[in-house]
Amino acid sequence: MRIERRLETPKRIYLYITAGSILASLFFVGVLLAIIGVNPVDAYSTMMYRAFATKFGVTELFVKTAPIILTGLAVSIPLRAGLWNIGAEGQLYMGAFAASVIALYLPIHTSAVVIPLMIIFAAFFGMVWASIPAFLKAKFDLNEIISTLLLNYVAIYWVEYLVYGPMKGKYVYNFPYSDLFGDYAILPRFFGTRFHLGVIIAFVVAILIYLLMMKTSYGFSVRIFGSNPRSAEYAGIKRSWVVVSTMLLAGMIAGLAGMIEVSGLHMRLRANVSPGYGYTGIPVALLARGNPLFVILSAFLFGWLYVGGSAMQTTFGIPVAIVDVFQALVVLFIIGGDFFTRYKIKLGGRS
Amino acid sequence: MIEVEFLASLIAASMRAGTPLLFATLGEIITERSGVLNLGLEGIMIMGAMTGFYVSLVTGNPWLGILIGGLAGLLLAIIHAFFTVTLKVDQAVTGLMLVLLGLGLTGFLGKDFVGTVAEYITPMEIPYLSDIPYLGTALFSHDPFVYLGIALVPVIWFIMNKTRYGMELFAVGENPEAADTMGIPVDRVRFIAVLIGGFLVGVAGAYLSLAYAKVWTEGLTAGRGWICLALVIFSGWTPHRAIFGAYLFGGLDVLSFKLQALGLGVSYHFMRMVPYVFTILVLLVGVIREKEKFGAPSALGKPYIREQKY
Repeated sequence: MRIERRLETPKRIYLYITAGSILASLFFVGVLLAIIGVNPVDAYSTMMYRAFATKFGVTELFVKTAPIILTGLAVSIPLRAGLWNIGAEGQLYMGAFAASVIALYLPIHTSAVVIPLMIIFAAFFGMVWASIPAFLKAKFDLNEIISTLLLNYVAIYWVEYLVYGPMKGKYVYNFPYSDLFGDYAILPRFFGTRFHLGVIIAFVVAILIYLLMMKTSYGFSVRIFGSNPRSAEYAGIKRSWVVVSTMLLAGMIAGLAGMIEVSGLHMRLRANVSPGYGYTGIPVALLARGNPLFVILSAFLFGWLYVGGSAMQTTFGIPVAIVDVFQALVVLFIIGGDFFTRYKIKLGGRS
Repeated sequence: MIEVEFLASLIAASMRAGTPLLFATLGEIITERSGVLNLGLEGIMIMGAMTGFYVSLVTGNPWLGILIGGLAGLLLAIIHAFFTVTLKVDQAVTGLMLVLLGLGLTGFLGKDFVGTVAEYITPMEIPYLSDIPYLGTALFSHDPFVYLGIALVPVIWFIMNKTRYGMELFAVGENPEAADTMGIPVDRVRFIAVLIGGFLVGVAGAYLSLAYAKVWTEGLTAGRGWICLALVIFSGWTPHRAIFGAYLFGGLDVLSFKLQALGLGVSYHFMRMVPYVFTILVLLVGVIREKEKFGAPSALGKPYIREQKY
């Protein structure tokens, strides 16, 4: 057996790897479920039933998918330029924090003013948080994977500090929550369910990013840089510009995810604003191969896992941590599978 | 003399708190020397902590727990080595997924024995020496792994600097192309280095649950994996400086607890931020110094792919 470098990669290989990774991960998680004594078929059918059988289930699927679309985009954009943004989680927390400050402390109480300001501030603070690793990468070539990741923890503890301390609600007892927002700071809901305006915002943003990345010269230059940095620099595309602009854009979008979570769903700032949506953005972006429209599709897969995960928790008492395992497996399978996009394995001796 | 007593107990506590950091840092030094970056320490460590605890809970033998904890670390390291060395995949992403995998698996499988009590490694008083006033408490009344950690430092130094494997380790980490030309099996040397590293990190985790914390809780490692990554840079990839860094950081950890107990009002949440901010700062210093070629293996983080000859 020997390994040979591919000169050209057929498109369908990517499809096989993606589908294979999802199936293999579902299989391994099924094995784990069986180990702790839960029938995987029961578990998966519960997950399907919960997400698709009722109006509440379907709208809940959209509600869980919306922030994942945004974090998926926040990973995808830099990924297109060959950069890993592992910091969407922290950027989301900073966005949630900024939106909450506006909601709780702004003396103006008109939705038409408050909600746009919450959006702007959330995007801005997400961007500020992303600017730190962006700057360190552009200036010192500090590994952005590590810096974005470490900053997540700082942002999470920052929000924890606030809701246990200065922003702790007057009317909550022993919960790490801020006070509830006024009606003017809450996104409208539809269908008598938790389906809120933030879901629509997420879809609109995904389409805008699609247009930006696929139809404008900016998107083109980012993609050129991602596929071949050296020739991009010869073509006059500046590395630091690509690094900084994609990371800032990512931070803005992840910050927006924080806003729709506090304003659309929780209606207050709280510890654990996100159950790891920022990390979920990584497999979402990888499955979508960085294409913003495919991000919507792959976000639905993980939205389903979260809806199903909480159903499994209530039904079988399985910790939601299983979703982390699934995510890690999907990413490993995909990046491992990419080996086969670069090489092909030939049986037999030399040619 | 109360101050001397306090100092003695602080030194003793620092050594115990520093021991898991030392094991993991030494492991990662070996791994990184070979040119492979393993960011998965946090996940490997917590897998070691959970499996070690579970084994001790079931068998009543904490020593076996430490060994199995190390093997659990080795198992995750095999995944890392397979992906990064064999498949030449991005090392940082693979390592990161090990963190997610470790935290997820332990949260999932370890739920049932949160709050249980397992047999743990007990300290042993070294005869006569532990009777020395103050010094006895500070240095000679630890559990065996504290001494094993200290003993590992010269052993690893010797292996890295005086043996054939150490020479090969150095060569593949600095210049894999040249090593390959000299007939050194680059991939094999790297694979072994990742496995040794994973084992030591697993042991570090098991030490944490079986000798230091003596309990299992979700998220027990609490960022220690990230600290060790910083300690590797801090130590300039040398074992003798690793022991210094590990004890220093163990000491800071202990001190922050003691200060909090005294009510010196720094918020708990800010204390929790420290390791992460510290790691970024150390990395930054490391990156800036690296420009003057200071200690880091030149090929660190780069997969080695032999150019095909046509």
